[in-house]
Amino acid sequence: MSFLFADTARATGFLPFVRENWLLLLPPILGFVGIYALLPRARQTKPLWGGALAAAGLITGGVFLVHSDAVLVERVLFCAFAGLALVAGVMMITQKNPVHAAMSFAMVVLSTCGLFLLQAAPFLMAATIIIYAGAIVVTFLFVIMLAQQDGATNADRLSREPFLASLAGCVLLVALVCILHKAHDTAKIDSVIVSFRQLSEAKNIAQVKRLFGEPSPGTTTPELVVRTHGVIANVDSPVQSDLNNIRHEWNRGDKARIEVIQKHAKNVHVYLEAKRRTTASLGLDDVPRKASTPGHFSPGKLPAENVTGLGRTLFTDYLIAVELAAALLLVATIGAIVIAGRRAEGLR
Amino acid sequence: MTPGTLESYLLVGAALFVLGLVGFLTRRNMIIMFLSAEMMLQGVAINLVAFAKFRGDLGGQVLVMFIHTVAACEAAIALALILLLFKRGKSLDVSLWQDLREADQDPIEDEGTPPEPPKPAEFQHLTPAGAEPAKKEAEKVSHA
Repeated sequence: MSFLFADTARATGFLPFVRENWLLLLPPILGFVGIYALLPRARQTKPLWGGALAAAGLITGGVFLVHSDAVLVERVLFCAFAGLALVAGVMMITQKNPVHAAMSFAMVVLSTCGLFLLQAAPFLMAATIIIYAGAIVVTFLFVIMLAQQDGATNADRLSREPFLASLAGCVLLVALVCILHKAHDTAKIDSVIVSFRQLSEAKNIAQVKRLFGEPSPGTTTPELVVRTHGVIANVDSPVQSDLNNIRHEWNRGDKARIEVIQKHAKNVHVYLEAKRRTTASLGLDDVPRKASTPGHFSPGKLPAENVTGLGRTLFTDYLIAVELAAALLLVATIGAIVIAGRRAEGLR
Repeated sequence: MTPGTLESYLLVGAALFVLGLVGFLTRRNMIIMFLSAEMMLQGVAINLVAFAKFRGDLGGQVLVMFIHTVAACEAAIALALILLLFKRGKSLDVSLWQDLREADQDPIEDEGTPPEPPKPAEFQHLTPAGAEPAKKEAEKVSHA
């Protein structure tokens, strides 16, 4: 989204903030106006309008997310699962029939499992499907069957303070989105990536010069290389020799070999793209971390043996927590039996 | 932000969390309120899994497993409580339990609540008088 907000000067005050970030504010506000219209009430508007508004919010949010032309399988799957999860979530909180709400919740859980799978967590995907969709939702359906045999009641037809609640949700989401946007401002690395892509596709020295400028006795390092160093902030990075070679060729002036520059620029471009996908933002790549302990791997890379790694982490680093979880499950089971097993007064 | 990066997953997690929050605040059916709370947990789980991938640290996924453990306990207790409250109040409506509010708060009346049906008129009952009719032999035996 950062291409929309290249200007880094932060405005103060409410109205300038809205004017600067209105594209960011649009999807949450549209979505929550739609949810407000969809929530069950005494004087219900047509569900078409609310649904259209909520869908508009979702689509505008998606349009801001997708600004690159490349269609990758992961992006398509992400958009599908995320959109399905949000649509099912909206349906869950706006359904009058609790059975339909429980089915929408199952849909939310299944879409979330798809997102888990995309994030290299196949064991969690299976566990979530078994626990939530398999156990919790089915138990809930049983309770609904027991408790609500005569259809929708007054409690399902009315909602409590729909306006204030959707306003609160909208404010919270806008705050989260703005913080995320500030923390993940990728404008700097994006501009460098674009420059290197142009460089790797340059046909002749004249185009390289247009990107780099003329070498002069005062400056021996092109400005682009300086900016790249500012972005990757790591002298030992694997592209250091590529950058050195580019600088060397550039200093040769008109005798520079275009194919050498192209090759090295391509290397740098690939490296920066990968870096942007994983650790470009948040500055987390500079955090010192424990190496060579189970469960710690290089950023953006998790092992293919997910269950093995998970088990090793679970029973080394988190052993006491596992024991505590077992105790918690036992206590909860006893508690549930004690609470639900109580007969109505006078029968015992 | 492009789909598939860390921030897009965080956005989806935040949106699910906020949807669950709105559902919990507005709905009056206890079961839907509970499902909304579970949806907030799902949003948090997406965040944790995305950070686990981003940092290359399985601790995030382990934390999600603990969330599942606690959510299962929570579901068991909450279902037992909902059944208990349903037995007492004959309805899943949380408004029935408004007596739990603070002493100086007025009860919340939702817009559009239909008026209470009028109670059947109470008639005076005469005090029973006269001799008690004789009971049959079999009933006497069973009572004894």
